[in-house]
Amino acid sequence: MTTTTEHGLASGPTPRLSAGLPAVRTNRRRFSWNTALRVILLLIAAALTLGPVLWTLSTSLRSPSESFKLPPSFIPWNPDFTSYGQVFQQLNIFLLVLNSALVTGLIAVGQMVSAALAGYAFAHLKFRGRGALFSIVLATMMVPVQVTIVPVFMLIRGMGLSDTLLALILPAIPTAFGTFLMRQYFLGLPTELAEAASIDGASPWRTFRSVYAPLAMPGMAIVGILAFNFHWNEFFRPLILTISEQNFTLPLGLVSLQGNLGTGSISVVLAGVVLSMIPALVVFMFGQRALQAGLTAGTGK
Amino acid sequence: MTGAINGQLRQITRRTALGALGVGIIGASVASWPRLSGTDIPGRGDNSLSIAILGTAADAAARQRAIDAFSRIHPDIKVKVQAIQAVDWKDFFTKILTMVAAGTPPDVVYVATEGAQLFAEKLAHPLDDYIRRDAADMREFFSDVHPSLVEAFMYKGSLYQLPMDWNAANMYYNTTAFAAAGLDRPADDWSHLDFRSSLAAMKKARPSDFTPYYWTNRLFGGVVPWLYANDTSFLKETRSTGGDWLWDGFYASDPSRSLRSGGYQWLEPNANDDRVFESFDYLRGLVKDGLGVRPEEGGGNSLVGLFASNRIGTTPAGGYWVQGLHEAGMAEDGFDVQFFPRWKTQRHQFGTAGYAMMKTAKDKDAAWEWIKFSSSREAMELIFPNPATTPARRSMVNEKLYASKGPAHWKVFYDTLDRFPTTGPIPAPPQQAAVETALMKNVSLAVSGDEQQLKQALASMQRDLEIALRRQP
Amino acid sequence: MSTTIPPQERPRQAARPDRPTPARNRKTGTGRHSQRWLAWVFLAPTILGMGLFTLIPIVASVVLAFFRWDIISAPSFVGFNNFAEVVQDPTVRVSFLNTIVFVVVAVALQLGLALALAIMVQEKMPAWLRVFFRSAFFFPLILSAASVSIFMRYLFNEQFGVVNWLLSLVGIPAVPWLTTPGGSAAVVILVYVWQNFGFSFLLFIGGLASIPVETYEAASIDGATGWRKHLHVTLPLLSPTTLVASVMAIISALQVFDQPYVLTRGGPGDSTRTAVMVIFESAFQRLEFGQASAIGVLLTLIIMAITAAQFRLSKRFVFYQ
Repeated sequence: MTTTTEHGLASGPTPRLSAGLPAVRTNRRRFSWNTALRVILLLIAAALTLGPVLWTLSTSLRSPSESFKLPPSFIPWNPDFTSYGQVFQQLNIFLLVLNSALVTGLIAVGQMVSAALAGYAFAHLKFRGRGALFSIVLATMMVPVQVTIVPVFMLIRGMGLSDTLLALILPAIPTAFGTFLMRQYFLGLPTELAEAASIDGASPWRTFRSVYAPLAMPGMAIVGILAFNFHWNEFFRPLILTISEQNFTLPLGLVSLQGNLGTGSISVVLAGVVLSMIPALVVFMFGQRALQAGLTAGTGK
Repeated sequence: MTGAINGQLRQITRRTALGALGVGIIGASVASWPRLSGTDIPGRGDNSLSIAILGTAADAAARQRAIDAFSRIHPDIKVKVQAIQAVDWKDFFTKILTMVAAGTPPDVVYVATEGAQLFAEKLAHPLDDYIRRDAADMREFFSDVHPSLVEAFMYKGSLYQLPMDWNAANMYYNTTAFAAAGLDRPADDWSHLDFRSSLAAMKKARPSDFTPYYWTNRLFGGVVPWLYANDTSFLKETRSTGGDWLWDGFYASDPSRSLRSGGYQWLEPNANDDRVFESFDYLRGLVKDGLGVRPEEGGGNSLVGLFASNRIGTTPAGGYWVQGLHEAGMAEDGFDVQFFPRWKTQRHQFGTAGYAMMKTAKDKDAAWEWIKFSSSREAMELIFPNPATTPARRSMVNEKLYASKGPAHWKVFYDTLDRFPTTGPIPAPPQQAAVETALMKNVSLAVSGDEQQLKQALASMQRDLEIALRRQP
Repeated sequence: MSTTIPPQERPRQAARPDRPTPARNRKTGTGRHSQRWLAWVFLAPTILGMGLFTLIPIVASVVLAFFRWDIISAPSFVGFNNFAEVVQDPTVRVSFLNTIVFVVVAVALQLGLALALAIMVQEKMPAWLRVFFRSAFFFPLILSAASVSIFMRYLFNEQFGVVNWLLSLVGIPAVPWLTTPGGSAAVVILVYVWQNFGFSFLLFIGGLASIPVETYEAASIDGATGWRKHLHVTLPLLSPTTLVASVMAIISALQVFDQPYVLTRGGPGDSTRTAVMVIFESAFQRLEFGQASAIGVLLTLIIMAITAAQFRLSKRFVFYQ
C-alpha cells in the first residue's frame, strides 16, 4: 500500500455512513453537560453556516433602501417581491437556467458514461501500461484549469466552436476524478458473479454487459451528481469561453447583475442569487444522500 | 420459477427504461443542437454589421428602436447589437479581446475613455476621413457637443470615436443630512477645506450608523478627482500635436479652442509628485478622522443602497446616478449635486464613451453610417430616454430628462464642462488595464495608515506604474 | 478496519477473471487478447478526450511559455525571457507567496474545523439532530463560489455589514475587512473555508464510520477518555482519510480564483492576488499569453512538487491498519 488510491472501497458502493454510525458509544440515558456543550457548539456552527444564506434570502425580499437594516433580520416578515421582478427584467433567467441545465446535464451524462467505461477498464480489464496510464489520468487533476485554458481556447476556435455551449461541454466530459471514483466502485463490487461468468466462458464484453453494467448505476449516479454540483456552479471556464450573453450560464449572469459603476441594487443582486440556488437546492434535497455517499465513498477509506 | 420470470421482467423493464432514457438524452441533445452550437443566436455568422455594447439583453433591446430607425434610412445595412455583460469596462474590454482572439471580432464597439487609447493603438480605425467627407452633416453634432469630450477621443492627431454619453465626477450630497447638520447648499466654488468642515458637521450631527463621505477605489470617482482638483495626476499628462483639422474645422470660434490638441498622452508615472502626496494625505486625514471610509476595491455595488437609505452624506458621482437613485426609491429632493470642491483648480474628471470602428470591420462605410446615425439627435433620444447617463449633446441635458427624478441642480452636470474647460478625461493610456491595477492596488494602503505607510504606498505605486507603462500595450 | 483488508485481495481476483481457468480461455479464443481490445474501446472516450483537451494543451502551454504572443500579431520566440520576467515581477512573486499562505491557513482551518465537527457529530445525539447538522454543514457546498462571494461582500461591509454589527455586540470595534490587506486576506480565507469545510467534513464522517467501535471500547478499558481517546485512537486510525482530505483540499486551494476575483479583485495592494488570478490577468486582460503560460508552468511544477512531497511524507506518518 504505497498510495491510498490503490485502496479498494471499504464496504461496497455505499459506505457505512448511511448504515448508521457507531452510536452506542457512551452511556445512553444519562444527561451529560458534555453532550449539551457539544450540541451548543454544533448549533453555533450550524447558525454560522446557514445564517448568511438566510440573511441573503430575507434581504432579497426587502426594498433596496432597507437592505442594510441593522440589526439584521433573518426572517422576511413582509416579503416584497419587486426585486425578483427586476431580476426577470434584467436577465433572461429562463435562458440562463436552460443553458446551465444543458451544459451541466450533458457534462453529467457524458462523464457518467465515459467514467464508467474507463473506470471498468482500469478496475477489471488487463492491458499493458494500465498502472502508468491510470497515474497519468490522476496526475491531470493537479493541473489548474487556468494553465490549459489558452490552448483549449485556441483548440475550440480551431473546431469552430468559439462562444458556444459545446465549448463548455466537450472539454469537461473526460474526467479524472470520475474515472477514479468508478474504478474504486467497480473494485468494491463482489467478484463471485464475475468468476461465475468467466467459468461459463463469457467473453470480457459479456461479463461487463451482463454482470457489471447492471450494477454500475449507483456509482454512475454519484459521478453524475458530483458533475452536476461542480459544473452548475462553475465560473472560470464560462467566464473565458462564452461571450454572448445568450450563452451565459447562471453564475456569470449573476455576477453581471452587480451592475456597472455601482448602479446595481443589492436586493436585485441577492434576489438573483436566491433564484440561482433553487435548482441546486432541489438536487440537494433529492441527491444529498448519494452525493454525501459519493464524496466519502470514492476518497474515504 | 415465478421468481426467475419476475427477475427477467425486471431485467427487461430496466433495460427498456435505460434505453428510453438514452434515447431521451440523445433526442434532447439533437433538439437543443441549435442552442448548443449557438446557431440560434440571430445574426450569428452572417455578414450583418455587428455592434458590441456593454450591457444586458435589456440594454440591447433598448437599442432596438434606434436600429429600426436606422434601418428605415439604410434598408441595405443589416445591424445586430451584441450586449456583452461585464462588471466594469476592464471586464468588457477583456471580453472584446477574447472575441478578437476567438476570431469573431465585432465591427463596431462602444468604448469608454478607459479603453479609448487601447483601441486607437491596436484595434480601431480612425474616423478622420469620414468626418471630413461628411463635414456638412457633422457640423450640427459638434456644435452641440463640448470640445473637451471630443478631445478625449483624439489620439496622435486622429479622432477615433464620437462622444455619445459622458459623466463628470461631481459631488452628490444627501439634503436631509445637510439640513440636519445645519448646512446650506455649498457654494459653487467651495474648497476642499469647506468640504472637510461640512463632513465634520454631519459627523457631529449623526455620529453613528452614517458615513459623511463614501467613496470607492476605482479609476472614475476614486482618488483621481482629488488629484485633478489639486492640479496634478498620478501619470504625467502631456498632449500630442495635430488635430487642427478638427478644431479649425468645427470649433474655430469656441472660447476654449486654444486649449485643444491632438490628444492626451500619459507616458510617465507621476506618483512621486508632491501634490499627489498632498491629495492622498488629505484623503488619509478624512479616513483617519472617521469622515470618510476606506475605499473598497471594485466596490460600488452597495453604493446606491447605502445612499438611498440615508447612510451616506456625500459621494462623487455623475449624471448616470440619477436613474439608479430614483429606482432605489430616493425622492427627487432627497439629494442634490454640486461641483467637485476646488483646491488649486476646480478641474474635474470625466469619462465618456462612443462607438469605435474596428480595423477588421467588414464594411467600414456601413460602420461609419451607423456611427454617424447614432450621433444624431434622433438616435440619441431613442438610446438615452432616461438619466442613466449624461448625453454628450448639450441640448439633451434638459428639464425633461430630469423631471420628477431630480436633482434640483441638474444643470451642474453640463455646466462642469463650460465652467471648467480644462476638465479632462480619466488617465487611460493604451496599457490601461495594467495602469489601473497599479493605481488601485495601492490606494487603500495609501489612505488607511500613517504617513510612513502613505509614502511607501506611493513609492510602490510609482514603481508599479513604471512597470505597467513599460509593457507593450 | 477489518473489512478493508479483503478488497485489496478482491480486486486482484476480479481483475483477472481468466486466471482460474486458463485452459478455457485458450479454447474460446477470448481472454487476454479480447480483454485488451475491450479495454482500449472503453478507454477511448476518456483517453482521447483527455489527450485533446488536457495533455495537448499542457504541452502547448509549455511551448507557449517560450514565445511572446498577443494573438493579434504573430508569435515570436523569446527563449527563457518570459520566465526571467515573470520571476522578477513583484506582483507574480507576491501572488505565489499569497497562494502558499492561503493554502496553509485555509487548509489547516478547513481540516481542523471539519475534523472537530465530524467527531462532535459522530458522538451521541438524537438521529434527527445529526441529520440536521450533517445537512447544514454540507449545504454551502452546493452554492456557487461566485454567488457566495457576492453576498459575503455585503456581510463584511465595514460600516454597515452584519459581521461588524455582530462583533459590535461583544464590544469589538468595526474591523476594516475588505479595505486592509490583512482584513481582505482574512475574508477570502473565511469565505473559502465557510464554503468548503463541508467537503472535508464528509470525508472525515466516512473515515470515522469505518473505525470499529471495539477499538474505542478497548481504549476505554485502558482508561482513555475524551480528547485523549481521540488523540490516541481516532487520529492515527483516521490518517488515511486525512491524507486524502488534505491532498484534495490542497489541490483545490492552490487553484483558488472565484472568491478573490469576486470579493476583492486581488486587492488592496496585491494582498489577495493569487497565482491563478495573475495567470488570468496576464492572459486575458493584457493578452500576454507567453507570460501567462510561463506562470502556469511554474505553478504546475509547484503543485506537483507539493503533492509528491505529501505522498512521500504520508509513507512515514499515515497509519494503515
